[in-house]
Amino acid sequence: MSLEFQRLPTESLNIEPEEINQAVELSNKIPDDSRQWQTYINGLALFTFKKWIEERDENLTVNWQGSTIAKPSLANAIPIITNLQVGQFKICLISLGSLFDEQVSFPKLVIDLPEFVPHFYVLVEVLEEQECGVIQGFITHQQLIENIETQTTNIQRDWTYQIPLNWFEKDPNSLFLYLRTLEPEAIPLPVVTANRQQQLAAIENELVRLLPQLQAPETELWQVLNWEQGSVVLTSPELLEWVYKLQNNNLETALASLQTYLLDFIKLITRPAINLGRWLWDELDEIGESLSWQLLNLTPAREFRSPAEEFEAIKLQLQSQGVEIPTVARCGHHNFLLAGHPLRIYAVVWNSSAKNDPNLWSLLLILGAPVPNTLPNTLKFRVSDLTGILTEQQVNPQQVNSYLYTSVVGAWDEKFIASVNIADGVEVTLPPFAFDNTRAGLSK
Amino acid sequence: MTADGEKNQTKTNYEQLMKQMTGLKYYTLVMLNSTGNRQLREIEVAKRFFVDLININNNTNEISDTLIQKRLLELFQNNSSQSSLLAQRCLLCFISWQSEQVCLFLEKQFGNFHGFTCGDLLPYVLDDDGNLQPSNTYQCFSRQILDTFDSEKSSLTTWTSRKVKQHKELNKYLLDCGLYLISDWAILNDTKPQQLENILGEFHYLTKLEIEQAQKLLSAYHKVYRAERFSQRANNKSRGRCNLPTIPQLQEITEVLKTKEIYMSTKIVMQNLQNLADLLRQYRIHVRGASFPTESLDEELNEFALIEQISAPKSENIISEEDETKDFLKNYRLHMINCLDNGIKTVIQLRLKKLQKKDPEKANKFAIALHLFHCQRLSMSKIAQQLGLRAQDAVARLLKLKEFRADVRREILVKLKEQVIELAQKYSTPTSITSLEAQITEALDEQITNIISQAEVEATTMQSNVAMSYFSQRLCRQLDNTN
Repeated sequence: MSLEFQRLPTESLNIEPEEINQAVELSNKIPDDSRQWQTYINGLALFTFKKWIEERDENLTVNWQGSTIAKPSLANAIPIITNLQVGQFKICLISLGSLFDEQVSFPKLVIDLPEFVPHFYVLVEVLEEQECGVIQGFITHQQLIENIETQTTNIQRDWTYQIPLNWFEKDPNSLFLYLRTLEPEAIPLPVVTANRQQQLAAIENELVRLLPQLQAPETELWQVLNWEQGSVVLTSPELLEWVYKLQNNNLETALASLQTYLLDFIKLITRPAINLGRWLWDELDEIGESLSWQLLNLTPAREFRSPAEEFEAIKLQLQSQGVEIPTVARCGHHNFLLAGHPLRIYAVVWNSSAKNDPNLWSLLLILGAPVPNTLPNTLKFRVSDLTGILTEQQVNPQQVNSYLYTSVVGAWDEKFIASVNIADGVEVTLPPFAFDNTRAGLSK
Repeated sequence: MTADGEKNQTKTNYEQLMKQMTGLKYYTLVMLNSTGNRQLREIEVAKRFFVDLININNNTNEISDTLIQKRLLELFQNNSSQSSLLAQRCLLCFISWQSEQVCLFLEKQFGNFHGFTCGDLLPYVLDDDGNLQPSNTYQCFSRQILDTFDSEKSSLTTWTSRKVKQHKELNKYLLDCGLYLISDWAILNDTKPQQLENILGEFHYLTKLEIEQAQKLLSAYHKVYRAERFSQRANNKSRGRCNLPTIPQLQEITEVLKTKEIYMSTKIVMQNLQNLADLLRQYRIHVRGASFPTESLDEELNEFALIEQISAPKSENIISEEDETKDFLKNYRLHMINCLDNGIKTVIQLRLKKLQKKDPEKANKFAIALHLFHCQRLSMSKIAQQLGLRAQDAVARLLKLKEFRADVRREILVKLKEQVIELAQKYSTPTSITSLEAQITEALDEQITNIISQAEVEATTMQSNVAMSYFSQRLCRQLDNTN
């Protein structure tokens, strides 16, 4: 007879209505309904664990604001909660619903990616219907790794290990003992050795092709990416945010240019940026120097056909079109080749903070060709930031010897990236432009 | 009369009696009177109808519920028949008896420990007024049972038992008593379609095709039912137990299934979902037994019952095992007692503080219960009586002894470690302290475990003739000091 009442374990903890509300709120932001349910159950597990710890030991508090469930873009990609903080220890919660197998699905990321590896994995059973939870056991990272190494544990297609429940220490009370008396060093954790940015930059083209396939909210990362690609995406909060927005249908970019935008996006987060803030101090930073950018001295004597002289002409032309460049602005230029065509770009930068709009900077980009050349007819000029492609302009064949220019404004911590394209796949992307005029930025 | 004849006579009387007893259930209604007490009410028209029916159909003495119910159902379902209402009445009477049986069974199994009687449960399930015609405004529970009964799927006895055990309000009441029965819908909510491959394939030996169908059904159910539950939760509309899927929900599920080229009526969807839940439930019990052999009721009871007496170690032994060879442990004994007292004090204070925040009355009861258990050595059921608590179960939840001991153990260890290391520092070079620390932790933990396990043994053998454990001695001193 399977329809039997069971005794609610004495250790079970009630989940209060406000905690249920909070769990609902945490999961409300998840686009796919089955991940939403999982996040909801995870939220209930979190509040069970928090109560368990804090009711029992006044010296301990559970800080979950930095954990994966606190950020919807992480919760959307990670089916458990990790990076919970109790004192100096990191905790990962694995929640079990009312039905579970003899094995529990353990995401590979909390075992193999140092960014997510905790000191302790804690098993929390959640009875959603009964509104209560029970802490069922735990295992240290060390023990888990030892077990995985000595026993055959196959990795599943969906990037999970199947971990037998009997690996867990059944008496969760010892966890208190560890949390109170151990030093965190007693459980050594792996450290990030890989250069994540390099890894990301190395596979940017693969990701540009694959990530847009995640658009349907029910699509999971493992269905589209292999683990190497996945580990790069999972360790990039920006890319997870991008995927989250994509699945929420919240990107400002049209589908057709999604790949172009994504490429700009990845470059923005991986490429070292030129700090234009330094220009205000009449200095080039290292990156600007290495790419032979040159600052224009706007006042002194001019050489014939020098960039400075040319820029004066541009300024007048812009003025006639109603574009004013403030006198505090600084300008630099850079010559480069695209498919054999010599091109020149001017960047004009100034601090445009105002009383009611502090911490803003402005960037004016002007693309031209050094005389006697003109811009090729098929040339396109594009500027993007993390939110999308901001402008894309094309040469007007009627207007000879014209310039393409664009002006953008951003917060001090925002970056922009410009690309020049002459045909499909033939393009040059300049390093991102950043603006840091603080002392720290200057000393960089 | 020969001896054989006498025997036959007795046998016939007995059969007669049994026949009457069996029959009784079909025309006597178990119900609650206006004061809420159980009473039996014989329904005259039903009795006449039933006796006639049995006499016509049964010339032998043999009588079986299966046959009777089969005949009654035929008559009931044949709406044109005059006897339909009467047959229904007989079946409803039977359901009332069966419902009472389930409640009696629950009382027998759990009532004592969890503090309820059959009488507490009956009001939830016995609301049939005994009339021939159903009420226009309200469908009583037994009519709900009968209406949803499908004789091809189960027997009326099983079905009634199932429905009673799943009664929403009854479940809510029992949950308050510390008992739960997870509903089909909660099980389905918590099952991932991927899990079915293993559960249905390797545990239940279903075919690949059947598994695929079940996965699609489960996904469709999730899409509709979970979304609804979730939004009800968000709006604070639904508390606790999952509701039966509504007709519109079932219709929506059939629509989702159509897009996957599965065509089912809502009735079949409902049946298949329940069948799936049954299979999952069997698996759930299997896994739980193997993985978390959660303390059975018996074990839990044993913690408080008088079981075979285990001789407790003498308290002096526990703290006299100090290592004389090490200088730094000379003052150890004193520190140990000091830390034990401190630990007990800290844990009691924390518990009181946390309880006070929620319910000052409960905090008060906790302090008294702790005293009654450890110092007066009363059993859990006696404590329940004294404090006016529901039952032993409520006392167990109030005291949470296992956690209490674990917490004290931790506090002792933390404090003792600090003190002993301080002591040790006088004798050791700073460099050796680190390795010493590990050794001390281990040594101390062993000793503390000794004290605690002594308290555990005591808890399971709480008897006035067993020497009071050191733990209890110190705890009671502590309580006496604070009072």
